[in-house]
Amino acid sequence: MTALYVAFGAAFGFVLSRSGAADYGLVQGMFLFEEFQLYGIMATAVLLTAPGLWWIRRRGHTALGEPLKVELKPMTRGTAVGGLLFGVGWSITGMCPGPILVNIGEGKVYALAALAGALVGAGLFGSLYPRLQGIFRLPPVATPRPSR
Amino acid sequence: MRLILHDLTPLHWAAGGAAIAAITLALLFVTNRRLGISGGFEDLCSLALPNAYFRRGAVRSARPWRLPFLAGLVLGGFLSAVLSGGWTPTWSLGAFATVVGLGHAGTLAWMFVGGLFIGFGTRLANGCTSGHGIFGLSNFEWPSLVSTACFMAGGILTTQAIHRLGVASWLS
Repeated sequence: MTALYVAFGAAFGFVLSRSGAADYGLVQGMFLFEEFQLYGIMATAVLLTAPGLWWIRRRGHTALGEPLKVELKPMTRGTAVGGLLFGVGWSITGMCPGPILVNIGEGKVYALAALAGALVGAGLFGSLYPRLQGIFRLPPVATPRPSR
Repeated sequence: MRLILHDLTPLHWAAGGAAIAAITLALLFVTNRRLGISGGFEDLCSLALPNAYFRRGAVRSARPWRLPFLAGLVLGGFLSAVLSGGWTPTWSLGAFATVVGLGHAGTLAWMFVGGLFIGFGTRLANGCTSGHGIFGLSNFEWPSLVSTACFMAGGILTTQAIHRLGVASWLS
């Protein structure tokens, strides 16, 4: 199974690399409303994933017959605030999480600094979780996420 | 606009979007996994940090798939470079050189600070462009719509400030 996940990741990374989703210029072009490319990619991806997802969920089990489990994400005060902060970081670096790793693979040296920052940021979040929980009404750590 | 990588012409957006949809659906249909990348930062953190947050079951049970998936992303970028003219370490960043224009040390600091926003923000929002923007929106989840609207707004405002108002020019 590990090799399969590596293969899925590699396919995803290759597409992000060649479609411009991991490209600093095209990301800024999107946010400047000068380049349609990434809007087109996201819209196409959602328009095609939605019916496929509907069909898989209606089927209720995977290709191998396993019961389907789709973990849902909670709505908290952090949903909006965290999104906003992430958007700032996406603009600063020109990379969202997948493209950070793709750019490292491509040989972009500076992407290593973005990864270091992202890991420290995630580490800070996890370490401060008990305090952030109250501020953003985040779910308790032990509670498993609901499934549909 | 051409890519920074070997000055390539990017794939057509419809082809790129269709490929992303195909991989997202295959990941769920074959392996029962919900696409999501920023959650992988937690898996990496969990290798080093002992906090209760990183020791929870949701992180531990995801490691066997997320860590290989993240490694695959790096491999995908590497293959993309190798198959289009060769792999060489590079600092090229396109418009960044003229708009922000920092040296190597400054660029690393800039990227590190941006990374902090990405790591903290995606964990607070519980997802990024993949888990919220692609999977969540396709699954008609409200939190994903809120988060996606907010990260697009955050990106647009920041890029307008940096690339149109020249906020970063005082740094160099």
